[in-house]
Amino acid sequence: MIRVSDIRRSFGALRALDGATFEARPGEVLGLLGPNGAGKSTLIAVCTGQLVPDAGTVDIMGLGSPLRPEVRRIIGIAPQQIALHDDLTARENLVFLGRIHGVREPVRRADELLARVGLLPRARDRVKSFSGGMQRRLNLAGALVHDPQAVFLDEPTAGVDPQSRTAILDAVRDLAEHGRTVVYTTHYMEEAERICSRIAVIDHGRVLAAGTAAELAATHAPDAAGAPGTLESAFLALTGRSLRD
Amino acid sequence: MRAVLALALKDVRLLLRDRPSAFSTFAFPLAIALFFGYVFGGTTAAPMRVLVACEDRSAAAERFLRAVADDPSLDPLAVADRAAGEREVRAGRAAALVVVPDGFGSAADAAMRGGTARLEAVVDPSRRAEGAMLVGKLHEIAFDAVFASLPEPRWRPVEVSLAEVATGPGAGGFGISFMQGVAWALFGAVTAFASGFAEERERGTLVRLVTSPMRPWQMLLGKGLACAGTCMATQWLLLGTGAAFFGVSIARPAEALAATSANAFAFTGVMMVLAAAFRTQGAAHGAGRAVLLVLTMIGGGTVPLVFMPPFLQAASDASPFKWAVLAVEGATWRAWPMAELWLPLTVLCGIGVAGFAAGAFLLRRTVLAR
Repeated sequence: MIRVSDIRRSFGALRALDGATFEARPGEVLGLLGPNGAGKSTLIAVCTGQLVPDAGTVDIMGLGSPLRPEVRRIIGIAPQQIALHDDLTARENLVFLGRIHGVREPVRRADELLARVGLLPRARDRVKSFSGGMQRRLNLAGALVHDPQAVFLDEPTAGVDPQSRTAILDAVRDLAEHGRTVVYTTHYMEEAERICSRIAVIDHGRVLAAGTAAELAATHAPDAAGAPGTLESAFLALTGRSLRD
Repeated sequence: MRAVLALALKDVRLLLRDRPSAFSTFAFPLAIALFFGYVFGGTTAAPMRVLVACEDRSAAAERFLRAVADDPSLDPLAVADRAAGEREVRAGRAAALVVVPDGFGSAADAAMRGGTARLEAVVDPSRRAEGAMLVGKLHEIAFDAVFASLPEPRWRPVEVSLAEVATGPGAGGFGISFMQGVAWALFGAVTAFASGFAEERERGTLVRLVTSPMRPWQMLLGKGLACAGTCMATQWLLLGTGAAFFGVSIARPAEALAATSANAFAFTGVMMVLAAAFRTQGAAHGAGRAVLLVLTMIGGGTVPLVFMPPFLQAASDASPFKWAVLAVEGATWRAWPMAELWLPLTVLCGIGVAGFAAGAFLLRRTVLAR
């Protein structure tokens, strides 16, 4: 279980997180849905130990704060930016990540993951020769190399073709089926409805509502007759229609 | 420790695969060492090419020309006349033109009665220092030639003996230039790793490190190990090449090891500060390289310190490159005893400790969990 309670974090005068609270359970994909600048990436950074919160607590699988190295051992993250070394091959990237996480057989594990994301035939090619979709799939594999219990995926399908997107979503679903706890940020409503067990709508550094897609649609976007609307209309009802920077 | 080594090896592998960085770390210093080695005369000083225009047909002039031809420090070439010689000097094909004017012989014959035998020299403006040396040399040769007819022992009002201070072997041009090359080797390694660190930050791969179970000191150790290892490798590649092919002597390997290790430690500290100070690869490549370039130049990486004006020589104390070059020179051809080598080694260790402390402090504030 990932428990995030009343997290606050400011950067100078800017309050990025203002009491964000949520829980994600094992076997669940929790979608973090929010407009640009809502605080999703900052929240992921706090949950993975990149940022120290000004206030509030994060507990990962009952082991405590991700600032502790022992806790980071069970956390995996696929950052929004492709975080891979261009001049290393796909296998070298994963083997390196395996070694810094203390994986016992990093080469075997790397090949296993490369096969899972459909890149084993390109294992010896440098990442700079990969398409955007291939890089995204490898970025996801990098998060899983040490078989983490808690996985944070920050917009893992941004800018990829439908084939790669499907492969990534299948991999995410597979993680949840194997009991991993997944926190997944996205802008795509259809994607959130497709794979997230529950969705937390976040804006201005706060979780505004949480529930299944159907619950959110029924609670926050009923039509005139009281019938449930769509997830998108619920999202707009919660976060407003003003344009964000 | 496995994670630290994995991080260090990954960084070294990335350096080797980045051709411009690998070139500036390993090949460029060698090119600099060879270039300046040949400029400084290689292992033996080449004789100075001078042109000679003789307008006098006397016996004294002939004796003088023979003495010039016999002098090992000069490489004379006769030209038809003064104008032809000046054209050649202006074109840079000779350092100077020596003119033996008409009347030289008769004036020389009258020298013992208070006359003065005159010679003229025309020098390339870019070679004034050699011009001064030439004037002295011509005095010596002319004196011998003019008074050659006198009975022995020859009268010499002043005699100057010249000897070089005792040094270790390999103190020739390459001995000096390969130590300058060490400064460029360290420059290349530091800029490559500082810019690699900035690239990690920019590309987001640093997030993978920060969210791994590695502790901050392990990350810094891994990064430092890669830089220090590369500094050692590139210094020894230079020294080894110099020793194998260019007469550079590593007669005292223990002192050389101490000097190169101190250099590696100091410049890893410098790299840490640059890595923390410059957040983008562009900044590390541009501003970082510019700062180091200035320090390399005032530290004697291009022009040896002895040719610098006093204020620049004083300023060079602030350059870590000066101490790096001094340490390897002291450990090789200068053959300093350990008591003298301590000063540069201590300064270098101080730079390393300060760099590590400042770099770690800044990186903790800007990169690690903050």
